[in-house]
Amino acid sequence: MTGRAVSAARLPGLRVLAWIGRWTRLRLHFALSLMAMAAGVLFESVMVWSWRRPTRMELRRILRQTVGGSLAATIVVAAIVGLGVVYQAFYWLRVAGEEGSIGTILVTVLLREVLPLLVGVILLGRSGSINLIELGDLQRSKQFHALLRQGIDPFNFLILPRGIAFALASYTLGIVFVVVMLLVGYSAAALLSVVQESIWAFLDDFLSATGPRDFIIFPVKMLAIGLMIAVTTSLTALSAGPAEDVGHLTARGFVRGMLAIMMTSGFLSLAA
Amino acid sequence: MDEPVLALSQVACPELFGRFGQTRAELTVAPGDLILVDARDATLAADFADLCCGVRQPDEGAVQFLGHDWASQPHETADALRGLIGRVLAEPGWLPFLDATNNVLLPQLYHTRETLDALRERAAGLADEFGLPGLPGGPIQRLAPEDLARAGFVRAFLGRPKLVVLESPVQGLFGDMVSPLLRRINEVQDRGGAAIWLTRSRLVWDDRSFPATQRLRLSHQGLTVVESRR
Repeated sequence: MTGRAVSAARLPGLRVLAWIGRWTRLRLHFALSLMAMAAGVLFESVMVWSWRRPTRMELRRILRQTVGGSLAATIVVAAIVGLGVVYQAFYWLRVAGEEGSIGTILVTVLLREVLPLLVGVILLGRSGSINLIELGDLQRSKQFHALLRQGIDPFNFLILPRGIAFALASYTLGIVFVVVMLLVGYSAAALLSVVQESIWAFLDDFLSATGPRDFIIFPVKMLAIGLMIAVTTSLTALSAGPAEDVGHLTARGFVRGMLAIMMTSGFLSLAA
Repeated sequence: MDEPVLALSQVACPELFGRFGQTRAELTVAPGDLILVDARDATLAADFADLCCGVRQPDEGAVQFLGHDWASQPHETADALRGLIGRVLAEPGWLPFLDATNNVLLPQLYHTRETLDALRERAAGLADEFGLPGLPGGPIQRLAPEDLARAGFVRAFLGRPKLVVLESPVQGLFGDMVSPLLRRINEVQDRGGAAIWLTRSRLVWDDRSFPATQRLRLSHQGLTVVESRR
């Protein structure tokens, strides 16, 4: 121990500061690693040589797993939101005599804020947890090292396709969610004679309320949320200790994933 | 004189060897060499193989593969160079989410542009040589341990390697696997490549007919030459 370290250890105030510093560095370490991994995925994704055959194979597999695995859950949740929110909005706006503002309310509340969070949670639960367990197993059985020994870059082969597949899946599921939610909500309202306008007029209202900014922010938000789910679960799996059990790892990954989804959505909402 | 396939010059790596005795390791693997290394400690053998393949860096000295110092290579170049090395791993490294065929072909699919059909055809030929009834397919988990070991040989020799590093390849295998392995190593030697065979097996080490050009002993005391036929 150096003389300076000894004197720091003797002073209680410095010990507290050292503890705060260690804790902050520890917390920031994960956040910075997350940023670096996300930036790495974005950078590598535009490099042609990154897309070797095994990487493309893995992209196809993860896309099937993420979109296919979450599609049914997305449709069901979108239908429930359609019935619970879109239909209710029709009903109460009609009572208030404000039918004309249905598009604005749906875009402001659902499209910009609620929908990205819901799709993110579905994707995290259905596919993020699989990613976490799969990569956690590879980490525990030292398969990353075995790949390095064969000259295969684990980032290129495993992380890059996951980042891109999750981003594309999130966007795709977001679009599916919007379509199902609007159709189910309108159908319910039409069946119960709550709405008088045609579906085309309703969709026109919705599109009119969607500003040019929404056409940029919505895709960016969905893509970013998908990417963040992939890198958060991947990084959690990679940082797993050899004796860490799957249950503990999944719980940690889920909490981190939820934080990542909410922070990404909130940050992009503020930036817009 | 031909450029060495692998050269360890004044290598110091206290974590591996030289803890108790010799502190620097020297090794030159020339084209056509088959180096037999008596390595009874499996972890030490794997670490030494990693050192030769540039996965682990020495504290001092240099490890050169085909004239390239591993330490000064960007990671893409180092990965590409490792693509020229066939490794039979003690811990085989099979990915559970890929089927057996893709697991075997994975390094070549990653490092080369050879067509899938051509790779499958060559892999099937090699599988036949190593006693498998064709290129294994289906989930990798369904293969018996012995078949996995044979599939590991196919993977190692599939890429026409310049260097083959085998970590105790016949450990726990029934039947004679030494002969087909030596036939394949001969083919590598004929192409100007070389092989390092790390063994724990007394049968292999004590076999005086084993065509090693050099016999070494690897321990925490260092890397010592037992016999050289150069």
